[in-house]
Parts: sequence; C-alpha cells; structure tokens
Amino acid sequence: MAKKITVDPVTRIEGHLKIEVEIENGKVINAWSSGTMARGFEALLLGKDPRDASYVVSRFCGVCYSVHQIASARALDAAFGAKVPWGGNLIRNLVMGAEFIYDHPLHFYQLSALDYIDIMAIANYKGKDKELLAVKDKIVGLVKANDTYPLTPRYEPDEFCVKDPDIVISAVKHYLDALKMHLAARNMGAIWGGRTPHYQNIVVGGVTSYPDVNQVARFRTMLDKQKKFIEEVYIPDVVAFGTGPLWPLAKLGVGGGHYNYMSYGDFQLDPEGKKLVFPGGVIVGLNPANIKVDPVDTKKITESVKYGWYKENKPVHPFDGEQVFKLDKKDAYTFVKAPRYDGKPLEVGPLARMLVAKNPTVLDLVAKGAKPGAVARHAARAIETKLMVDACYTWLDQLMTEMTKPGFKIHDTEHWNPPDKGEGAGFHEPPRGALGHWIKVKDKKIANYQAVVPSTWNASPRCENGIRGQYEEALIGAPVPDPKNPINVVRVIRSFDPCLACAVHIIDPQTNEIRKFIIE
Amino acid sequence: MKKATKSSVVRTKGGAKSSPQKIIILGVGNVLLSDEGVGVHVANELMKMEFPPNVSVLEGGTDGFRLLNVITEAERLIVIDAVRGGAQPGSIYRFDINDVRNCPSGFKTSVHQIGILEVIDLSGLIGKTPYTTVIGVEPKSLKMGMELSPEIKAKIPRVIKLVFDELKMSSKIKRTIKLL
Repeated sequence: MAKKITVDPVTRIEGHLKIEVEIENGKVINAWSSGTMARGFEALLLGKDPRDASYVVSRFCGVCYSVHQIASARALDAAFGAKVPWGGNLIRNLVMGAEFIYDHPLHFYQLSALDYIDIMAIANYKGKDKELLAVKDKIVGLVKANDTYPLTPRYEPDEFCVKDPDIVISAVKHYLDALKMHLAARNMGAIWGGRTPHYQNIVVGGVTSYPDVNQVARFRTMLDKQKKFIEEVYIPDVVAFGTGPLWPLAKLGVGGGHYNYMSYGDFQLDPEGKKLVFPGGVIVGLNPANIKVDPVDTKKITESVKYGWYKENKPVHPFDGEQVFKLDKKDAYTFVKAPRYDGKPLEVGPLARMLVAKNPTVLDLVAKGAKPGAVARHAARAIETKLMVDACYTWLDQLMTEMTKPGFKIHDTEHWNPPDKGEGAGFHEPPRGALGHWIKVKDKKIANYQAVVPSTWNASPRCENGIRGQYEEALIGAPVPDPKNPINVVRVIRSFDPCLACAVHIIDPQTNEIRKFIIE
Repeated sequence: MKKATKSSVVRTKGGAKSSPQKIIILGVGNVLLSDEGVGVHVANELMKMEFPPNVSVLEGGTDGFRLLNVITEAERLIVIDAVRGGAQPGSIYRFDINDVRNCPSGFKTSVHQIGILEVIDLSGLIGKTPYTTVIGVEPKSLKMGMELSPEIKAKIPRVIKLVFDELKMSSKIKRTIKLL
C-alpha cells in the first residue's frame, strides 16, 4: 500500500511550496508540487506606461528582482524597436553577472548544505584550530540556547550525510565565510545599479548609469575577492562533497526527472552575440553519450492551467495568457501554471544551461557515472559561477576599451518614447533559469503582460496530458526508507533552488501575543 | 559607499567610540500588495527629509538574506514593516527585537520565509546584531495594488513621528551590541 506524505512548507527555499509524495517500498512512486501563493502581479501593469514595467516587475520578488527588470527591459526593447548599444549591454551584463556571484554560493551554503551534513557532529570536533573552535563554540552555544535558526528545521541525518566532525566543522566555517562574501558581493551590482535590491539603472534602450574608470576598478577589486572565494572554497567544497560522500547519490541519479532541458541563451561576449556565456537550446530526452541540442523556438511555448487555480482555458502562448483565479476548481492543486515546450515539460536552470552548453566538466562527471540529478545540479551551479566570474573580467576589459571610443553610448535615446502599438518578448537566463517576459502595447499603454518565471517551469503541475512537471518527475524513485524522514525529497527539491517568493514579506507571528506591543 | 567606511571605523574595538552611532532606518515590504508595502512608503517619505550623517534611510523591498549587508552595518536599526497581529487595521506596534524573542509561544514568524527578523538573527552569526526596534502597522488590505488603503496612508505622518522619537531616544540609549 502506498503511503502519502506531505512536506508543507518546504523550508529553506524562497517562497511557499508544498510537496506531496506517495511512497511504496521505500521509494517515491508519485508526486505533486503545489505553489500555495497566488501570483499574477502582471494584472497590475495593464494600462500603465510601458516604461514603468521594468520598475514594477522588479518588485515581483525580493530575491530575483533585477532579473525581472532586465527581462522586462528586453521585452520593451523589442516592442519599442530599441537597439541597446554595446556599452549599455556591457553594464547590463556586469550587474546581472554579479547576481550569479551572490546567488549561487548562497544557495549552496545557506540553503542546501544542511541537507548533506550532520551539523551536530560539530560537538565532536577535537581539533585545535582556533577559528574552527570558535565556530564550534558558536554553534554549540546556539544549540544550548535552543536558538538554532537558521540551522533548523532539518530532517534526521541519513547514510548520505557527512558525519566526520572535521569535514562538518569546516563546512560550517565556510557557511559563515560565504555569508560574509555575500555581503561584499552585494555591493558589486550596486556600483551601476545604484542600489541592491531593486537596481535602478536598467531601462528600455539600455542603462542610465554612465560608467567611469573608478567604478570599473572598484568592481574589479570586489570581483578579485569573490573569485578567490569561489575558486578556493566554493568549488573545492562542491567537488569534495559531490565526488566524495555524495557520489552514491550522484550515481543513483536521485532527482533526475524528464531529462528535457532548455536555456534561452544569454550574456553576450561580443557585440554581435556570436559567443554567449550560456548558449541557447533545447534538449528533449537527454542522451549523455550524444547530446542533441535544438534551437529554441519560443512560439512553441504554451501554458496549461488544467491543474491550476485559474479559470479554465486551453493551453495558450504567453502573449495570450490571462490571470483569472478560480479557487473552487476540481482537480486543481497549485497556483503555478504548467508551461510546456511543444507539449513537453522542461527543466531550466544551471544544469540545463551546462548540458545545453555541453560543458566539458559536467560531461566528464556524467562520463564517470554521475547521472544528471540533484548532485549534478549543485555541480553545474558551481561551474557556471566560475564561468560568470571569468566573463565579468572580459566585460570589464571590453568596457574600458569601449569607454575610450568617441561617441561611447549606453542608451538608445532615439527609442525612448512608447510606440502606439507593438509587442515584444524579452528573455534572460538568471541564476534560477529561463525567464521570459511578454508585452503587448496599445495606444502607448500596456495592453497585456505575462511573465513565465524559471520556477514555473520547474515547479509546474501536470498539464492537459497528465504529464508531471519537472519537480514531480524528479522525485519519482527517490529513496525514502523512513516516511518520517523524507530527507531525499527535500534534497531533490532544494537542488533546483526553488524561488516562489514573488510575494509577501509581512511580519506574521503565529501568536497573538504580538498585540501587547500595540502602542496606539 | 562612503558611509560603509565610516561604520567600519565605528566597528573597530577600542578607539573610535567618539564617532556617532550608525543608525539605519529600514522600510520593508512589497509595494505590489497594497498595505504590505507600508514600510516602503514610509521610507520613501523619510528619504525626502534631512537627517544627520550617521543616519541612513533605506528601502529594502521584500529582500531577506540580501539585506544582511545593510543590517550588519548598523549599530541601531529601526525597521518599519507591516505586522499582522489581528488588531484593528492601522494599529501601530512598537517592539524591540529582544522583547519578542522572549514570547513563550515563539515569535519566529514563519519557518518557510526568510523574513527580516530571521535575517537579523543571521547577522549575529557573522558578527554583531544591531539593537533593533520594529515599528509595525496592522494592514487593512493585502490585495494586489500599488496604493495604500486610505486608513493606512493616513498613519504615515504618525509613523514618521515615531521614527523621530526613536532617533531622539537613541542618542540617550547606551549602545547594546550583542557580540557572539
């Protein structure tokens, strides 16, 4: 008899996600992914000046803010007929590249690492390293004070968890170092973005921040520090875990899914866009021995609402999508729509990008026996962080050259005014994967707006044909020997770096005691 | 970034005690969900006003983790946010983080969301936690929309006054820096 368990909410992710799985003989045999927060901010944009869109959409989410801003600006570029000068693109690339540098290590250390280590092993550290002893004192102190957030909640360690006190304590030390690096990295994007979160400089036609030599130098200095951490700490940690204690999980391919992947392609390395950091392409039914990548045809994208809490509608292209909630719909179980490409569910994100790019390091891991799944996702994320660091250096050099050219431009000012009519699509590859924004302009105002975000692809429910979404499929076969301890379920889900935040930030205590602090 | 340098002076042990305490006023919330964004609206108003150089006004949107750089820079933090305590809409709350830590039934807001209080906790893990006060407003509506409800909008001047009261008090309060 299959036993149904629910993980609600999945913790240490950004946003609200509920996962239900059916377990039989110690393995997941069926799964449902449910986004329990209503989205649909697009409705707010209707009737507004299209130029406002990139600012409004950056408020969709406090985590992935600028990624919406740039996807929106690109949709507007297309609708307005604006051509962003190379100088503008370089600055867009640099501020968006910085996002990878602070997002990916944060995901590995702060959001995921606790799934793979037995944190309590710290108490058994017998070494003499002063710094590590300070870490031990800190953690043991927190445990004694019963104040273990953010190290909890978590499941019981299983056989894949690292229990060696020396490894665990250095991992926790890196957890703390990564937080400090994160703080420093945040200032990179702000050099031209003006601030983080919510950059201010990305607009239709380019950017508003005219660069100077000092800024380039500052960015470079910060980048040097991040590069050191990424190369000397982050990547070695991922390698040590992935090829060490987690190798059995990697070989089992836990968290595989449909083996369909997509990257829109992004981050030009030259003005013509001949070379990209992340090439675009679609893989349907991965054959690791002979990877076949087709070009992306965005006309093949549809969204199904069959299992979403939306008014019934046929699967339609995002240009024609609508946002009408219907909460009493039979069989519906999520606020997430089901995007499909040519009817197929796809995975987006670092693993998809690295497979589409046929990245040699990833292919090498696969050749050695790692099946694309949860562990491979962490590896792909680390690999592309390094690619992004290298690309940032290239862009800084290019920017320095570009700035000395006569007539250096960062914005296409000819196309600042909204057209009477137009439509456009904007694509971006943010840390979490393929993001698309679609806009229709009529009478100089926004007539329709739709965003298909990465977690919509990954967290998608079933579609008209009953085909599971990628999280759902990725869970099938995951070992859950003890239904009370579904640690592999959360490992699989967190490996995607879910972000369903796009919403509320209220202080909402689970107690009415807060009322004693009312002052008026 | 000039300000960052100043605060790092303050942070050094010993010396520097004479430099004024670094105070950050941080408005948070989602401006797309009507009254959820009250903290941001208040911050935007405050930004139009004059403050001494040791005081910064910031608007953090709905960021969680990523506000750490701001929080760790502050010695005194005044957070303005919507607080859902089930009271009359427009009610104003004021509490120090240390007050709510002691709530017996646990104040931790929500485990699945990395909210402002959780981030303040995290700041303690890598250094110091600023002495933090939250000024909260009970929202009326959390519906999608970029405007505040009229009742909540009417409270903005009052919240601003309370922020100024905190600033006045701050100059008298002994620095409480929690070192872990």
